[in-house]
Amino acid sequence: MTGSDKLALRLSGISKSYGSVRALNNLSFEVAEGRFFVLFGPSSVGKTTTLRTIAGLVPTDSGRVEIFGKDVTTAPIAGRGVSMVFQSFALYPHLTVYENFAYPLREEKVGREDIDKRVKETAAMLKLTHRLERKPNTLSGGEQQRVALGRSLIRRPKILLLDEPLTNLDAKLRHDMRAELKRLHRQFGMTIVYATPDELEALSMGEEIAVMRDGAVVQRGTPDELYEQPLDTYVAGKIGSPHMNMIKATLGVDMATFDTPLGKLQPTRKVKSANSGDAALLGIRPSDLRVAGQGDAFIRSTIHLIEPLGDVTVISVEAGGESLRMVLPEASATSMKPGDAVPIAIDASKIHIFRAASGQAMT
Amino acid sequence: MTSTTVPAAPPAFTAFSPDNWRLALIAGIVISAVAIAALPSGVAFWITGIMMALVAIAATMNAVRRRYYGGLLVAPAIAVLFVMNIFPLLWSLGLSFFAYQSNQQTIRFVGLNNYIKVLTNDLAAKDNWAALTNTAMFVVFTVAAQMVIGFLLALLFSKQFPLRKYLLILVLTPMMLSVVAAGVFFTYYYDPTFGILSYIMREMTGEQFILMDNKAGAVAGIVFADAWMWSPFVMLLVLAGLVSVPKYLYEAAAIDRVSGWRQFRTITFPYIRGLLMLALLFRTIEAFKIADLVILLTKGGNDTMTISYHLIRIANEQNKTSEGAAISYLMLFMVIVLTNLYLYLANRRTQGN
Repeated sequence: MTGSDKLALRLSGISKSYGSVRALNNLSFEVAEGRFFVLFGPSSVGKTTTLRTIAGLVPTDSGRVEIFGKDVTTAPIAGRGVSMVFQSFALYPHLTVYENFAYPLREEKVGREDIDKRVKETAAMLKLTHRLERKPNTLSGGEQQRVALGRSLIRRPKILLLDEPLTNLDAKLRHDMRAELKRLHRQFGMTIVYATPDELEALSMGEEIAVMRDGAVVQRGTPDELYEQPLDTYVAGKIGSPHMNMIKATLGVDMATFDTPLGKLQPTRKVKSANSGDAALLGIRPSDLRVAGQGDAFIRSTIHLIEPLGDVTVISVEAGGESLRMVLPEASATSMKPGDAVPIAIDASKIHIFRAASGQAMT
Repeated sequence: MTSTTVPAAPPAFTAFSPDNWRLALIAGIVISAVAIAALPSGVAFWITGIMMALVAIAATMNAVRRRYYGGLLVAPAIAVLFVMNIFPLLWSLGLSFFAYQSNQQTIRFVGLNNYIKVLTNDLAAKDNWAALTNTAMFVVFTVAAQMVIGFLLALLFSKQFPLRKYLLILVLTPMMLSVVAAGVFFTYYYDPTFGILSYIMREMTGEQFILMDNKAGAVAGIVFADAWMWSPFVMLLVLAGLVSVPKYLYEAAAIDRVSGWRQFRTITFPYIRGLLMLALLFRTIEAFKIADLVILLTKGGNDTMTISYHLIRIANEQNKTSEGAAISYLMLFMVIVLTNLYLYLANRRTQGN
């Protein structure tokens, strides 16, 4: 194990229930030091509980939390060296921005001049120098968010937990803050665990993403891995926009060809442990569909909806009773209109195969 | 508004019309003044009353015809307020400048003499001075006891524990009791022969124990009863403040590794400071007027006389009505000064931070 691969965090078999509600269900994952790790999933999937477990705000029912190899499952919050930014920012309303920053330091008996120096450094880094004497409720949402970040960063934590930090900001600010967070991560190199329900945030910021469902991690990997090889229909549906087209299919006797409403399809991926006649779902990303050129094998379809999105256009077509979405460059879609017949071709190497019953990948 | 019904123009001042309230007011004042000056007081009283009713009718008619419905709607409330609050207040203020006793017919204007007498002669008397210092003592002791106990109770009830809801109701009950009931209850409680307190003390020391036989004991008894009744009030206010503190602030503080005491000082206290001041203000004003428990428990004995009790004796038992009015106004003045001092200090602290 090399230095850069040192584990910052390891959760194994964590379960947590609130009354009869199961928040975390045998959750396990580990995060390498210095990684920007994203917990991704819709709301109430257990992301926040996971972060609170790591911070020590909620005790676990079972399982083990390790931080830098040390078991901290029952350790007090203070000893964990973890800092957290809350979705609600949780700024101290009666203290100025300066005091909010200084608050964690005062407890650590840091000298007065040292506190002053670090507060001013942090404020400068987050462009809050002119706001230091203000109270939080007089600041804009973006500024409050930066104060919350600054208060967490000022202690130079080894691990920083971020709980949907951008959810309460407007779209433009979110974009800026995404870049800002990536910059801070590069600058300080601390380990970040970032919870978000937003696909764009997860894919654009995460070096590694854990997709969560029902209090457990479904799949973990780099954004590319999740996009290219989703382990099941859940992950396939969550990653990538517009969502993957799913076509009902039946595996043929040759164990490679599928009967579908669109006709026979032969994906490049090889199926594993399946029987002929098995029901399957073929997943095709909208960007892997194209208008068939001269000499291509093609499927007849009819356009019924055109959504121009600027540089690309999303076309909904109907083929063999199935509704498919495809993404085309804006230029190639300008002449199309609803009702037109359009021949479409599928990139066979990009077809994902899932079991119809379980949703698990068949490859 | 549609143009079909334009309100009638106000009548000319001299017009003899039921809605000419200006004329009615002037006529009412003149006739009443003449009646008071010329006729016996019994007759003048009724004439003045009739004149007031006339003015009221004219004003109402005017409001209906001119469509001042807003004014018409608040009029009953204002009338009640005037009859029940403003009039007695002004009447007693006026009375304090006269020499008048409710058991005698004579009344004589004496200017500030009542006030001068109260502030010099009366205050110089040992008993009255004692009543004043006793009141101050009761204010300090009862308010301090209520604030401390109420605050601690609020801290307790801000936590979740079994039976919390039912215990809360139980703790709030004293506040809802009549003071007389509480007073009687504590009379029995402190009773030298069969009171439970005396019984326990006798069992422990083997000697007769009478709580109320010296000043310290009497004051302690009254302060305890008052704190028992009014600590829940402080608790209720502080509890409202405590539950309004967002939980995530404590979590953030825990993550920031801030100690419990500093969490209290920088998070909890700012949220409840306003309500603490409010509780302090209410309880101080109330404590300043303390008389009921003193009457019920000691009847002013063992040097537990207070200003309020003194006032009741002067005004009701000795029938010195106008002198009582003067004392009341002096008390009101003291309370106003005290509360403004509080508010000034509270505001200065808020701005100072």
